[in-house]
Amino acid sequence: MSKSKTLWVVVGILIVVVAVVYVVAGRKAAEKNVIKIGWVGPLTGDAAAYGEPMQKVTELAVSEINAMGGIDGKQIQVVYEDGKCDGLDGANAVQKLVNVDSVQAILGGFCSSETLAGVPIATAAKVLMLSAGASSPSLTNISPYFFRDYPSDAAQGKVLADAAWNMKHWKEVAFIQEQTDYAKGVYDAFATEFQSLGGKVINQPFSSNTNDFRSILTTLRSQHPNALFVDVQAPLEATRILTQVQQLGWKPSLLIPDSVAGDPPTIRENQAILEGALTAEFGTDPTNSKFEHLVSSYQAKYGAVPSYESYAQTFYDAVYLLKDGINAVGNNGTALAQWSRTIKDWQGSSGSVTILPTGDRASGHRLEVIHGGKAVPAAQ
Amino acid sequence: MSILPQLIANSLIAAGTYALIALGFNLIYAATKFFNLAHGAMATAGGYAAFFLLQSFVGINVVLAAALGVLFAGLLGWALDRAVYRELRKRKASNTVLLVASLGVFTVIQAVIAMIFTSQFQTLSGGAADSVYQIGGAAVTETQVIMIAAAVAIAAGLGLLLKKTLLGKEVRAVSDDEEVAKIVGINTERVIGWVFFIGSAIAGLGGILVGFDTGLQPTMGMSLLLRGVIASIVGGVGTVYGAAAGALLLGFVENFGIWKISGEWKDAIAFSLLIVFLVFRPQGIFKR
Repeated sequence: MSKSKTLWVVVGILIVVVAVVYVVAGRKAAEKNVIKIGWVGPLTGDAAAYGEPMQKVTELAVSEINAMGGIDGKQIQVVYEDGKCDGLDGANAVQKLVNVDSVQAILGGFCSSETLAGVPIATAAKVLMLSAGASSPSLTNISPYFFRDYPSDAAQGKVLADAAWNMKHWKEVAFIQEQTDYAKGVYDAFATEFQSLGGKVINQPFSSNTNDFRSILTTLRSQHPNALFVDVQAPLEATRILTQVQQLGWKPSLLIPDSVAGDPPTIRENQAILEGALTAEFGTDPTNSKFEHLVSSYQAKYGAVPSYESYAQTFYDAVYLLKDGINAVGNNGTALAQWSRTIKDWQGSSGSVTILPTGDRASGHRLEVIHGGKAVPAAQ
Repeated sequence: MSILPQLIANSLIAAGTYALIALGFNLIYAATKFFNLAHGAMATAGGYAAFFLLQSFVGINVVLAAALGVLFAGLLGWALDRAVYRELRKRKASNTVLLVASLGVFTVIQAVIAMIFTSQFQTLSGGAADSVYQIGGAAVTETQVIMIAAAVAIAAGLGLLLKKTLLGKEVRAVSDDEEVAKIVGINTERVIGWVFFIGSAIAGLGGILVGFDTGLQPTMGMSLLLRGVIASIVGGVGTVYGAAAGALLLGFVENFGIWKISGEWKDAIAFSLLIVFLVFRPQGIFKR
């Protein structure tokens, strides 16, 4: 290579380097006027049925805040990551948000599995995680960098176990339990309470990719339980199981978790078999003006009422909680984590929010009965 | 009530599904000597083709939609052979290269289906609810009866086809030795094309019946394929009756296994069976 050629190559490389530095610096400058928040939830797979509407709710809250001038004049920008409702993808999503996007706060995950896998990563990076959907009891007290404005399943399982024993006088309840942290959390809470009351619980766990439940159901049926608890993560799985229960000609009394009860189409579709089924939901309060505002502005923006209202309200509140937190202590994971434990009687669309030192929300689930294709409060 | 009849019924239903995948898989393996991983995607494609027809043409005859779905899966399999595998064979690509290519094809088809139909779970339904029959103390739906019957009929039909017809003899010749088949004047590429068409069509039928029975998901191909491959290896790779026998054994072991062990072990039971066979009887039940 001749001398002049070498020179040109060096000049060329220099130009490229300068250009790259310039672009990166420019982007950094632009980023100074935005606050990036991470978001993790299921955007594909069965559980995308929740993730997609929750993404819309988040967008709604963020656009409201940004329209009012953002936080301290800075616009909020949400980086959405697909946690696919499983631990591995949840962990990858949090890794990416922490390392690539350098966020200080993450809204998510929606599923307990995503959240359980993500929290240790966020904690190590001193990043706050706020979940508006994960309800596994294993998340209670998991990390000072984690809190949730959705109550733990300990409440749900306990309410249902009490009703099964005291109201229905059931002695033996069979579980068909999906192997996810959420479903296991419901099972653990139910079993602990029901057994302490003197009842017996039999459980058949199954892995999430199962479609053929016939032999599991056949085995459970042969043990003649008083009731069957269809403990699944996503409503479509409940439909699959209930269809196969009917095909087998079995007509058990049923219990369903709030993941299923919160989906009106599933309840309507299976209303014949679900009539009289027990469930416990973290309900909504239609008279709450903030909740009314959420429903009406969601409808105005997307042309439909939000599905899974009980999650929609906590997602909506979570965005506003983060805004208040960042306003109060700045966009810093550690400061936000300390601030989260001071939240007391914060008023949102899901009612009054108080965060306990364990990171859990103080308030719980309400017993409901499926009647005429709808979940209605149970008369106790 | 004894649960035995129901468990037997459940085992037969599962065996029917696995057999429909394993039969085509074995046929293609025998002729081409490579593990066609895209075979699982043929089932998914067939199921979604029928789903598409039932959705877009309201009132279409269910049997017609299913038949067109089967035809589509068959043509897709044939087209893939022409476009991908045949080109690779021409370049004397090794079986490992073909295996990796088929994995790529599988991923592409699965992704395309997810893009068109979303990842959501869909159910195939012919309008009226599936009628349930009580047979000897076991409840079985119409779809499940068809599934078992189809598996038996196709296994028998395929056996006859290979034995009695000219095409069958050509397929067997290609399976025994492709080079010699070529020398005696058999158009091996045409025969392999037929093999892909027939094998993929059978998988398509499997996918459609699974769609009617439990439902469709873009990702269902892999678990169907894995079960089909286990059935095929257990029964004897590359043999028609081996695929059927392997599917039967797998169905029974899986469903009777979870009678006494908890349901979460179902996958583990299936793969343990595979390992036991690989270690102690690698040639499978029927040796080629």
